[in-house]
Amino acid sequence: MKPLFSSVILGAAVLALAGAASTGTDSGISFEYHRYEELRKALVSVWLQCPTITRIYTIGESFEGRELLVLEMSDNPGKHEAGEPEFKYIANMHGNEAVGRELVIYLAQYLCNQYQQGNETIIDLVHNTRIHLMPSMNPDGFEKAASQPGEIKDWFVGRSNAQGVDLNRNFPDLDRIVYINEREGGANNHLLENMKKAVDENTKLAPETKAVIHWIMDIPFVLSANLHGGDVVANYPYDETRSGSTHEYSASPDDVMFKSLARAYSMYNPVMSDPQRPPCRKNDDDSSFKDGITNGGAWYSVPGGMQDFNYLSSNCFEITLELSCDKFPNEEMLKNYWEQNRDSLVSYIEQVHRGVKGFVRDLQGNPISNATIAVEEIDHDITTAKDGDYWRLLAPGNYKVAASAPGYLTVIKKVAVPFSPATRVDFELESQLERKEEEKEELMDWWKMMSETLNF
Amino acid sequence: MASKRVGLFVLLQLLALNVVSQTSAFPTPTASADDKTVYNRQLTEERPLQEQIAEADSVKAALQSAVSKQPTAPKDSESEQGDDFTMLKSLADGQNPKGAPEGPGKKEDQYIPDESDSTKSRRLADDYDSTKSGMDYDDPESFRQVDGTPLTAEDIVQKIANKIYEEDDRGVFDRIVSKLLKLGLITENQADTLEFQVAEALQDLITKNAKNNEIEDMESVDQETRGEQDDLGADADAWEPPRRRYNEDDEEEEVNDDDEIVDKVDRDAEQDVDGADNSWDKDKEEGNEVNPEDGLQDLQYFPNFYRLLKSLDSDQDAQERETLITIMKTLIDFVKMMVKYGTITPEEGVSYLENLDAMIAMQTKNKLGKSLVVPDISGLTGKNLDEDDNTKSETAKMQKEYESLKDSTKEEQQPSAETSQPGKSETYLEAIRKNIEWLKKHNKEEGKNDYDLSKLKDFMDQQVDSYIEKGIIAKDEGDTIKRIYSSL
Repeated sequence: MKPLFSSVILGAAVLALAGAASTGTDSGISFEYHRYEELRKALVSVWLQCPTITRIYTIGESFEGRELLVLEMSDNPGKHEAGEPEFKYIANMHGNEAVGRELVIYLAQYLCNQYQQGNETIIDLVHNTRIHLMPSMNPDGFEKAASQPGEIKDWFVGRSNAQGVDLNRNFPDLDRIVYINEREGGANNHLLENMKKAVDENTKLAPETKAVIHWIMDIPFVLSANLHGGDVVANYPYDETRSGSTHEYSASPDDVMFKSLARAYSMYNPVMSDPQRPPCRKNDDDSSFKDGITNGGAWYSVPGGMQDFNYLSSNCFEITLELSCDKFPNEEMLKNYWEQNRDSLVSYIEQVHRGVKGFVRDLQGNPISNATIAVEEIDHDITTAKDGDYWRLLAPGNYKVAASAPGYLTVIKKVAVPFSPATRVDFELESQLERKEEEKEELMDWWKMMSETLNF
Repeated sequence: MASKRVGLFVLLQLLALNVVSQTSAFPTPTASADDKTVYNRQLTEERPLQEQIAEADSVKAALQSAVSKQPTAPKDSESEQGDDFTMLKSLADGQNPKGAPEGPGKKEDQYIPDESDSTKSRRLADDYDSTKSGMDYDDPESFRQVDGTPLTAEDIVQKIANKIYEEDDRGVFDRIVSKLLKLGLITENQADTLEFQVAEALQDLITKNAKNNEIEDMESVDQETRGEQDDLGADADAWEPPRRRYNEDDEEEEVNDDDEIVDKVDRDAEQDVDGADNSWDKDKEEGNEVNPEDGLQDLQYFPNFYRLLKSLDSDQDAQERETLITIMKTLIDFVKMMVKYGTITPEEGVSYLENLDAMIAMQTKNKLGKSLVVPDISGLTGKNLDEDDNTKSETAKMQKEYESLKDSTKEEQQPSAETSQPGKSETYLEAIRKNIEWLKKHNKEEGKNDYDLSKLKDFMDQQVDSYIEKGIIAKDEGDTIKRIYSSL
């Protein structure tokens, strides 16, 4: 009798909910702030609605023990499919920059809803990408910020984590290293030496930072964005200036591609891309902003940021999205922010399907992991993942792409890259041993031929 | 006591809001549209065939009206009239159960499902022929069901009832009846009979849905029938005879005794429990302020409570009944208030009220020596005193429980309870429901067989367990989810 009653309650409750849900929602999304519990429940609800294409996992705990929750969406959640690029959105690393956090939640709901409603674009995206959504990297900070009384939230309260660490200055500063290497020669990628050791033994890293670094190391992310608030612009690497000055355009080797990526976001956000947009505050210096994008260093120097860390420690290209002049606006504004950013958020995910991609295998067809993919004239290499798969984001143009691996002979291919979709380029690498064997055989053949001809 | 004052204040506010929302409690266009979609969704899953029939008929009627020559009707109202005219024809069928020889259309002769029914339809032709030769309703299309067999009188009455139910609009019936009367196709008496039959069919619908655990339907349709009663009273005194007959001639009805009595009690109790009704409606619509789950809980507990009330239907018990109802109402409001202020979680409110109702059943059984499941009106009038004691002890028990509940749950107050979102059970249930719907639709589109519910259930159970382990879902949430899946 009890279960029956419960189901009756719940059955009746659904009808009430259907009635209630129609007030103040937009196609099933409820535009309000989510505290930690509500965030968790919102993600669980998305999972319950779309269990075949979503999965919730946690990359670790914040300082105060809140789970750093991620909702992933793909046609095969929980596993990396060979050749399928990985994408992530991380928001709210500054706890009081709340809009990004909410947008990521709404995005999760939106993608699930649209998928079920047959939206072709979304269905394709979900089937061909593995999308990871982390609404909050700093849940402790958010709680602090959200608990402030009154309507106006402070510019600083809740920004850092519970230990007082600004997470976006807490990442190992690899910019410094790459600048040295630029001058003196050295690696141009994967600069975190002895990664695991360096991370685990580093006492200065906050638990949230550590968790994200492990996450970046574990999953071969290709493209990412980091959501902030306090201004409205799409910011791309490098964030730290080469000379150490406070403002200086600091181009990365992939400056062209990064500009393209940043624009792909800003152009669908009417506020961000508005050339007439007045600065958020009267004395703000927006001189580096153009078409809604800016180079990090040109805006202001940021050492130890997560964006550059991604680019310099892994294959992942990350940009920073500033989405609102107000760091923690009124709840009534959330719907507007969603409207402004929805198309941008989807468009940016689609950018992961650009450039060249493929597999690096040996002559027997076995995948070669950690092979290097180098593009001529771009001083930044990427590596293949465990299945030998790689994704090299490139702006349209003609390129020479070289695949190499220790003990193998390098292969170079010429590719003409359109805007999109990604061009498939596979490599079969011959190992040096094989080549030696080949040469030996050739020699033997020649000797045989010679001896037969000359009769000895 | 401060909380009591707060409680009273809240109660007053609730009542005030009730008054305000009372105006919108009756089916407004938007409200009924919402309800309609909800009902339709439920209806589709519960009774797809009826839905299909109704849809097919309305489509046919729309087509028909576009094609047929209507001398006086303007283009715009044609479809509506066409629909109504379909109803008219069907109605006329139902009006004349006594046989007559000829069929309304030649084609009909080929599809005779059973003798008595076809004679009913034939009678219509006679009426048409004898009264209005100019009318062109010979189109046999409208007499067809989806599968091509002609409509029986029951079908037609059922159709009308369905239409009223779905559209939540008694006006459908009024339109049809007034047209029929105007055309002289039926007499006042026949109109009465029709009303009676349609009302009966409507009650059937309601109780059927109630049986399928949609007690909410009963509630809102009760309003509707209440509205209907009012309207009917206003029209002519036509309602009086049927109603009296309805109440007294239990045997004549084809309705399940149990349900019929419950319905009757509903109607009786409704007049007394007006305030509670309204507050439930308000809860339904308000959603954000007070936990809607609690609001609907009120309905949930009526089976036993109603049976108890019903057993007090003699005049001397009116006082007892009033008291009981007031007590119940107050209790429910208290629980609602506690939930609203976060003193208890919705779950706790639910389980409390569940226990309450179970206790009512038990107590009644103990005191009266019989269970409430098998009601016996006549037998209980002699047990007034017992009832009296029963309710008094009930009240005491309820109060005690409430007190203990209040105390014990104060410490458990969570900061996140103060949320404008609906309770998580509903959100989860809603999400699961969307998933199931999508799965059904998806599988249908791809031509697969019905999705394997048990496989899905196993998969979800597994996932839920792993999530609980990882701290993504709380244990009780996981149980709720599993419970929801097992109840599907």
